[in-house]
Amino acid sequence: MINLWLTSLLSLLVAALFVPFFKTKHKRAMMWFSLVVLTFALVAQILIARYVYLNGSFFYAFGGYQGGIGISFLVDEFSVLIATFIISLTWLIFIYGWANIKSDFEKAETARYVNLIFIMIFSMVSMVYTHDLFNTYVFMEIMSITTVAIISVKQKKENYSAAFRYLMLNEVGSLSFLFGIGMLYMIGGQLNISAVALVVQQGWPLYSWNIGLALGLMILGLAIKSAIYPMHVWLPDAHGSAPSTSSAILSSIVVKVYLVVLIKVIYRIFGFGIVSFLGLNVILTVMAVLGMIIGSLFAMAQKDSKRLLGYSSVSQIGYIVLGISLGTPLGLYAAIFHIISHGILKTSLFLSVGSFISEKKIRKTHEFRGLGVKMPLATAVFTISSLGMIGIPITSGFIAKWQLGLALSEISWWLIGVVLLSSLLNAIYYLPIIIDFYLKPNPENQTILTWDGMPKRMAFILIFLALSGLTMGLFPGLIETFIELAVSAI
Amino acid sequence: MDILNTLIEQMNILAGMLIFVMGLFIVIVNNHIIKRIIGLNIMGAGVFYFFVSIGNLNQAIPPIIIDLPSDVPYVNPVPSALILTGIVVVVSITVYSLSLAIKIYQTYGTLDQAEIIKKNEERWK
Repeated sequence: MINLWLTSLLSLLVAALFVPFFKTKHKRAMMWFSLVVLTFALVAQILIARYVYLNGSFFYAFGGYQGGIGISFLVDEFSVLIATFIISLTWLIFIYGWANIKSDFEKAETARYVNLIFIMIFSMVSMVYTHDLFNTYVFMEIMSITTVAIISVKQKKENYSAAFRYLMLNEVGSLSFLFGIGMLYMIGGQLNISAVALVVQQGWPLYSWNIGLALGLMILGLAIKSAIYPMHVWLPDAHGSAPSTSSAILSSIVVKVYLVVLIKVIYRIFGFGIVSFLGLNVILTVMAVLGMIIGSLFAMAQKDSKRLLGYSSVSQIGYIVLGISLGTPLGLYAAIFHIISHGILKTSLFLSVGSFISEKKIRKTHEFRGLGVKMPLATAVFTISSLGMIGIPITSGFIAKWQLGLALSEISWWLIGVVLLSSLLNAIYYLPIIIDFYLKPNPENQTILTWDGMPKRMAFILIFLALSGLTMGLFPGLIETFIELAVSAI
Repeated sequence: MDILNTLIEQMNILAGMLIFVMGLFIVIVNNHIIKRIIGLNIMGAGVFYFFVSIGNLNQAIPPIIIDLPSDVPYVNPVPSALILTGIVVVVSITVYSLSLAIKIYQTYGTLDQAEIIKKNEERWK
């Protein structure tokens, strides 16, 4: 079982090597090959998740170097949940992208794009699994190059400038993270996360300067990469100009992986005691609250739909960081639930906007008037998902905000007020789009319902995403146990 | 005097931090794309210097096993080995950002990020 899982991870890298060798005219064969490899990875991932839930968590030491000398992967309930989420969402986005890929960039770029996607999934999944600090840094760098490259693969000038900005900030973040690793290495000479945690606990009274600086630098680096409020400046440009499939991946998965590493850094390496002693949890709470409010305010000013969704991500990341910064199991539960729920909802939002762009060539919000009769399916999916973003009951967004509210009620009541205010602001910029869809006449005065005109694959993925968002809202018990296990594993 | 002694002992580490902060300052303050890339490399150099110096000890010898006397301290080779990876990464990031800089110059006709933002704003309206 473990060998099958490792083979599936390696097969992603091997597939990335083989994909560029397909000729442009053999695009179909290449896509089938990629889909088979991705499906293999997904199946192996689900099997290893089942194995972990049945037999408990385990360490896999590469090369057999036990005891923190070599690199090891920690496969527990937390990492398998996040990794399954990553691979299944990428699988869905890949099938959508197969049908949509022609509209975003030239044919010759397809192989390079698929190549980048494979390397990116590999690094994301490995970053979630790895139990070694320097290894985390290496995967972080692989991810920063590939994520920037899937923005600049669409060869427009604003993609270049957005990619450059993203690359610079990403690199500043990575180097601060590396500096933090150096600070920790200085104390105990360890890189394995369990060993570093031990070193931090024992060395805290003696080396509090080192540990404090390391914590600050690591949180700064991860905050830049996961676009926590004052460091969010790269996000709207990058997510707004990237191809729609890339935006979906960037916004719903990539940012979340860094937040998962943030959870690991705060709870596994340093422990919440040190974080709250240094007051960093208060700083994170303030940044989260500012992000929730100001991200929504910025989103209200946007005229471009994809930039609007980007700013909406800034405010949603605020909710997740708020859950992380509370330091209670309920807060972590809310954060992980919100990671999954926001992943599904934001993917379906970006993909439905992507279908507007590819089928009708419109992307400004004022052009969406009366689209409800021209593209009934995509607008319905957009409506359901944006209601989920606002937090209307029966969608998964409601459960996520409800859990966050429960977690906050233990801490302080005024933070619940902030969550409600932010939900109200979400409603202010999402509802006008829905009203435009259904209640305004369109420029062509078309009133008869017509089919969207998009390929069946895209339609299937959109329906599936909307349904899974609704299912999570109607039956949150389905994934409740998994998230509870993940929280207890942290 | 105590502080001065600590400063002198920790000179390498402090210098690493100083170079890191200088690079960060250059990246933040400048608008010119090439200057930013240079600043990034200076930041990287600071981190690498820091890493190499935390492996070092006073009067230590290189960690070559063949005729290693047991009572002499030797340099910890792990940070230097780790930082080779870091150097490779920063080189590849530099190459990629320079190629982006070429494309930006070809499409915008300028390397000043303030002007680029001004030109971009027209598109988002």
